[in-house]
Amino acid sequence: MYFQFLLAAVIGSIAYLDRTAAFQVMLHRPLVVATAMGAVFGNVFAGAQVGAILELLYLARLPVGASIPPDDTGAAMFAGAAAAVSASSVGLSAGSITAVLLLSVPCAELGKAADRQVRRINGRIASLTAESVEKGDSHAVEQGLLAGVTLFALSGVVLTLLFTGAGVVVGRQLLPRFGPASKSFFAALLPVLILLGAASVFSCTRIGRTAPVFYLTMAMVFAATFLFRWAG
Amino acid sequence: MEGTDKAVRRSAWRRQFLLQGCWNYEGMQNVGFAYSILPALRHIYREKPEELTKALKRHLEYFNTQPAMGGVILGAALKLEERAAAGEVDSRDIGTFKVGLMGSLGAIGDAYFWGALRPMASVAGAVLALVHPFLGIAALLLVYNLSHLPIRWKGFSAGIEGEEKAVEFLKGSGFAAKTEDRKIVAAILGGAYAGAVCGKTALMFGSGQAAPAFLLLAVLTVHLLTVLFRKAVSPSEILLFLLIIGTLLVWH
Repeated sequence: MYFQFLLAAVIGSIAYLDRTAAFQVMLHRPLVVATAMGAVFGNVFAGAQVGAILELLYLARLPVGASIPPDDTGAAMFAGAAAAVSASSVGLSAGSITAVLLLSVPCAELGKAADRQVRRINGRIASLTAESVEKGDSHAVEQGLLAGVTLFALSGVVLTLLFTGAGVVVGRQLLPRFGPASKSFFAALLPVLILLGAASVFSCTRIGRTAPVFYLTMAMVFAATFLFRWAG
Repeated sequence: MEGTDKAVRRSAWRRQFLLQGCWNYEGMQNVGFAYSILPALRHIYREKPEELTKALKRHLEYFNTQPAMGGVILGAALKLEERAAAGEVDSRDIGTFKVGLMGSLGAIGDAYFWGALRPMASVAGAVLALVHPFLGIAALLLVYNLSHLPIRWKGFSAGIEGEEKAVEFLKGSGFAAKTEDRKIVAAILGGAYAGAVCGKTALMFGSGQAAPAFLLLAVLTVHLLTVLFRKAVSPSEILLFLLIIGTLLVWH
């Protein structure tokens, strides 16, 4: 288990760096992170299952200006680990998927708060950098940037260990205690989560022409899926 | 005028990927921008340390734009620094140029990358992950980066040719049309995703007669959620509400 957490921490630091500080090549997206955590904790498909739903849930919140969106990377770490651990012991039902996704919300908000804190500390680093440059030390810029990147990476490692640890505990201790009735209650909420993801996509792509396109495609695919399966 | 050599320019291009490395509320991407342009400044002012300090102070002022669009401004600022060192332009024009461009580039970049390309890549990834997880991940990364990385490279290259080329690049790239196209593709994929899942769920709940009612309910739910997003309700708040409902039902 130590090796798994070590591997998760390495992946987590890369994902959190990609989120803000470096690259931005989408390695931090929930689908990538949850699948990776699923692979680390023993079930890549369970991780991808929750990651695919989580991928769309927070799309409507854009990282524009000073606004920080909820930490969907952290939520994916929790959900991927919990899904993989519970899938390998009791199987992953629709109820378990929903429960894992809903329980990941505190991680998204905690990660957002941690991100805000890192950016505040970076403000101090930036002002120290400016003071050193004033004195003629150009290397201070490189040191300041390195300090900022290190802070983002360290915060990423701590959050990863926290979220995957919580995910493993929830997957092992909490989910197996859910009875069939509880699972079916949660399972009934799963379509709402998927519609929430679709609404997120629709919300951030909304222009005059996308509304009819979105609803028409939804109706056509609904009819095709329904008729195909009903006839079959 | 003495220009920067290729190695220095390449170093500046690589460094732009750390534009947000020290993101802070006061100067936002200021340290990242100064870090990115530093190799060029060291080259341009290698025998004038006071000028280097002045130039660095210029670039440590407030700066914020969409990170993928930062390359255009970085390239153009680098070119302006070369011209300022040669006495062709006033060094104060560099700050004015950056401030003038960062807002509009930020708006174009936010609309294209966050509002169109990322949703399109995400929904493509989510749909294909149903076939195989690695197919989904590959789709997400390829759809996004096949557009993202060339824009970073072309933007920086255009910027380094001068402000006029940078403006030409922005006009010639057709961001407005590309944004609209990608938004439509994302809407089609999002609608297909919602329709497929609802169709599957409707089957579990009953007969064909109930299907239109189920579809109407799904459409109304999406519409309601979209209205909530427009009223600045966070997805976390909606999910938390669902978690409370789920917990209460289980408790009951």
